Amino acid sequence: MKFPTEARLRQIIAFVAALGVGVATYITIADSGGGAPACLAGGGGCETVANSSYSHIAGVNIAIFGIIGYVILLGTAFFANDLARFVGFATALGGFGFSVYLTYLELFTIEAICQWCVASAVLMTLLFLLNAARLIGYAGTDTTTVALPEKT
Amino acid sequence: MSNKKEREKRREQRLQEETKVDAGERRTRLLQFGAGAVFLAIVAVVILIVVNGNKDSGGDAQNLEGVATIDKLVGGIPQDEMILGDPKAKVELVEYGDLQCPVCKAYSEDFLPQIIEGLVREGKARLSFRNFAFLGEQSAPAGAAALAAGAQGRGWQYLELFYRNQGIENSGYADDEFLTAVAEGAGVKDIAKWNEDRKSAKFTDEVTATTAEAQRLGLTGTPSFALQGPDGLELLGTPGSPEEVEDALERAAAG
Repeated sequence: MKFPTEARLRQIIAFVAALGVGVATYITIADSGGGAPACLAGGGGCETVANSSYSHIAGVNIAIFGIIGYVILLGTAFFANDLARFVGFATALGGFGFSVYLTYLELFTIEAICQWCVASAVLMTLLFLLNAARLIGYAGTDTTTVALPEKT
Repeated sequence: MSNKKEREKRREQRLQEETKVDAGERRTRLLQFGAGAVFLAIVAVVILIVVNGNKDSGGDAQNLEGVATIDKLVGGIPQDEMILGDPKAKVELVEYGDLQCPVCKAYSEDFLPQIIEGLVREGKARLSFRNFAFLGEQSAPAGAAALAAGAQGRGWQYLELFYRNQGIENSGYADDEFLTAVAEGAGVKDIAKWNEDRKSAKFTDEVTATTAEAQRLGLTGTPSFALQGPDGLELLGTPGSPEEVEDALERAAAG
């Protein structure tokens, strides 16, 4: 299987993670301020989701966890070593697993879909795939070791 | 000289090979860790979903919560149908709500108690509930059930107890069993009469009428509040704090 170059993967990861930071920040701001919430008929998915008991863990808006995750992912895109590859993969995996769980909640428990949460889940899925490709394609190719000639 | 060069060359080759072996091993280890992490993540998500399936998400007719709390909150305050408080009070705060609305639940728990324990209990204001039943199929029957409890002087206990045990919006929890359990918990004496009343045209029509009224007033969501003063209805929207409402009530009472 042929992967894009690692530099290209890192660029795409940085771009998608930056979008993720934006989306998660928007959800956090929209939830914390923006006047009194109200229940609206139809199209009120985000209100329902934001008002459900699942939107906060220990009083902390889960979008905050999203921001932290995306910032870590953004950070890992700036380093080309095994630590960054693995941390990136593990964070994206955690984020992806959490997104799967939250999407399940939206569909089957809260029974409302919030487009911003879906956007975040899509970005996290992309990041998981990108980081998995990065790990599988480039694990064990730290610059310190690849500095030696390929040919023997 | 050439021996030395040879040795250096061999040494370099050995180093290269060792580095390659190292890199290969590290790669294998990292991929094993990665696979392990994927396995753990799958297990974690499955556990979360299974555990969540058993999580108390309200709407449980067998296990109503907050009976004592609501008795303390509204007990001893006069009630007439859905009006809580002294009938002679100058102003009336009207809430347009939907029993299925989670924000109404939040207002009922965190916002209204201050007003009920203050101005309403002191006899300076009345509080009335009008159904704006628009969120789902079970909204109107739940609203009529509250009105029927109101006919027996337990309307506010019904509302408060319903909100404290509210389930997930439109999940079908507000069935006959749940509505009846709330009526019993709210202290409705004649359950048979309540059961008849809640299905009667008198109350189902009233839910339809107040919902139409809310729409006519241009209300877009619940809860929406309004002041019923001597000069008519003044819309307050969805206020951000109880103090805002108290100020408006006191102003209206003084004016």
